[in-house]
Amino acid sequence: MSSFKRKTLSGRATLPQGTRLSPFSTSTVITSTGIPSLDDILGGGLPLSCSLAVLAPDHHSAYGELVQKYFVAQGLASGQKVCIIHDEPLRFAREGIWMAGSNPSKPAQATTAEDADDERAGQHEDKIKIAWRYEQMKKFQTTVSNSLNGDFCMAFDLTCRIPTAALDAAQQSAQLIPIDVDISEDGTIGVIEQIEELLSNGTNAHAVRICIPALGSPHWGDMQPSTVLTLLHSLRRLLHRYTNACASLSLAPHMCTDTWGGPGWVQKVGWLTDAAISMSAFGANPSLSSLFPSHHGMVQILTLPAPHTILPASDKYSTLRGLSSAAGAMDGSGENNLAFKCMRKRLIFETLHLDLEGGVTERRTTPSSNAMALDASMVHETMPVTVLSTEGRKDSRATVEIEFERSKDVVSDAHTRAMADVTAADSLVPAKSKKTKKKVAFHSERPDLYDF
Amino acid sequence: MQFPAPDLVSSRRLLLITDQLPAPADFLLHRFLHLHLKQSKTAKCIILGVSESLERWKSVASKANTNVTHGESFHFIDLFDQLPPSQHLGEEQTNKISLKCIYDLLSVKLSDSRTNGQIPLVILDDITSLEWLGVSLLDLSRFARALRTLCVKMDAALVVRHHIVTPPEPDVLLQHLLQLCTYHIEVRPLASGRSGAVSGEVCVHLGPGMKDTNEHLISRTSALQYRLTESGAVFFDKGTSTGVL
Repeated sequence: MSSFKRKTLSGRATLPQGTRLSPFSTSTVITSTGIPSLDDILGGGLPLSCSLAVLAPDHHSAYGELVQKYFVAQGLASGQKVCIIHDEPLRFAREGIWMAGSNPSKPAQATTAEDADDERAGQHEDKIKIAWRYEQMKKFQTTVSNSLNGDFCMAFDLTCRIPTAALDAAQQSAQLIPIDVDISEDGTIGVIEQIEELLSNGTNAHAVRICIPALGSPHWGDMQPSTVLTLLHSLRRLLHRYTNACASLSLAPHMCTDTWGGPGWVQKVGWLTDAAISMSAFGANPSLSSLFPSHHGMVQILTLPAPHTILPASDKYSTLRGLSSAAGAMDGSGENNLAFKCMRKRLIFETLHLDLEGGVTERRTTPSSNAMALDASMVHETMPVTVLSTEGRKDSRATVEIEFERSKDVVSDAHTRAMADVTAADSLVPAKSKKTKKKVAFHSERPDLYDF
Repeated sequence: MQFPAPDLVSSRRLLLITDQLPAPADFLLHRFLHLHLKQSKTAKCIILGVSESLERWKSVASKANTNVTHGESFHFIDLFDQLPPSQHLGEEQTNKISLKCIYDLLSVKLSDSRTNGQIPLVILDDITSLEWLGVSLLDLSRFARALRTLCVKMDAALVVRHHIVTPPEPDVLLQHLLQLCTYHIEVRPLASGRSGAVSGEVCVHLGPGMKDTNEHLISRTSALQYRLTESGAVFFDKGTSTGVL
């Protein structure tokens, strides 16, 4: 008698709406978090029966809640049940985001490509003269876009608010289930019991998303670390039992560091959830934000979901992390550093690279142009500071020309720039100053050696 | 390279497996399970689970072509199912009682398996979570000691997993466990972070209370590296990763 049973997907004749089978393991059903690059980091999406914890230790920003807004919006848009656990769940839902173009009050702005990236991309293709052997190469990509059809992951626009009609419809049809966190009741145990009730009443046909946007905010009362861990653990156990649900929660900023929970706190959170990432924004740290001007924070991956396998799907499938190279086991490359960026219309996770002029071996003759790009709100146009060195060997006096900075209007920039005397490497966003072209001549003591 | 060596998991031993978040050791537990079940048809294995679900044990085992059906040779005891549901946040009374329940249940199951002469394998996945969830340290160290003596009495092999969250310093529970263990298997991440070719390294240390021997030991400097693949883990010596098929 063979002890190997043939695997049939008999339990899952049809997948719930908004989910698909993981390409890595056919027993895992994954669903989108609403952010394509985060889906990529998780290995395709968040698997059902897994919990995702987003830690955002920066007090001055709400990136954790932003990720939750995407989570909720994706759930509502795909027709899944969404349960929000918050002190004012409906208010949180009303401030949610939605897809572009569906909001009738803002039709025009959705179409013009005012995204910084799009404009830069356009300029890039026109201007750059590239060596012939590199012409065929793809543009350097730092993030993944939504390559699948729109069913799995919708394209959300941060500037669009969820239309009240859609919200009311979701409430009426019990698609959106708010759960109030009441401090007078038994806090976390009450929440767990309510979630359990919700999950046991539901059917397997619909995927259920549980969202806790601000675990640890004042309305939860005075939380101790052990309470939080118990909540995470109980939630995870519930999800193991009711496998058509997944959860995404975001801890309050003060709870995301070891200073609150004691040594090893962040690791404990990572152990008790199936997937955990930490988004540490640069907000409070001016040196970091000047070092990486085009990103808003770094992403640290604590845990990756692997509900049915040893190897997390992300190790094999994530383009952003870069572990799955074509050579397979031969390539010993390390993981890419990841960062996130919140643009006007979307939040993306991308790989973090040092700037073109970064690095310690770079010989600097002018101040780094990054240092000039500190102020993002006002656009300065600076004429390049040129350092010319004369041909003569004896007398290498550098002439330096400096011009004053002057404010420039963003919109009319592109046209004037085309006419200005630009260097070949200039293809930058108007908000950034031009990179200076450095000329450093090599002067040898005994030039006749090299004169043939 | 084969890890573990075939007689590493043998009766009356307590193997303490410690791991860290960047390099979790669940693959080792699964590996021990599969190797044990493959040894013979009557081999028995009992898993005391805290964090991983039964589903995961089953699906990983099926990927490794090991038949794991609950009831015959494989028992899964979910520690939290034994707790009365309304008493999650421990009052000490109930936690003591619940650990006692588990101990009794385990002793019953182990005595059942004594008859067929096979070494049962008991895996306690994750004693650290119990500490994090509020079980007192005293109870846990007593529980660990009780488990150990039970397994020595029943000729069983015991494997306990412990998470390290403060890497250089051993926490109190780890100190207690170290005193009990025969071998301490340490799974560590690479200092340089995750990599495509190497997921981490494994070292084996002798438990402090054991007779001096060099058998099975792998020092930190010559640690065995491993890489996780879809079907488990591949082990190799340092620097030989490209030579592995």
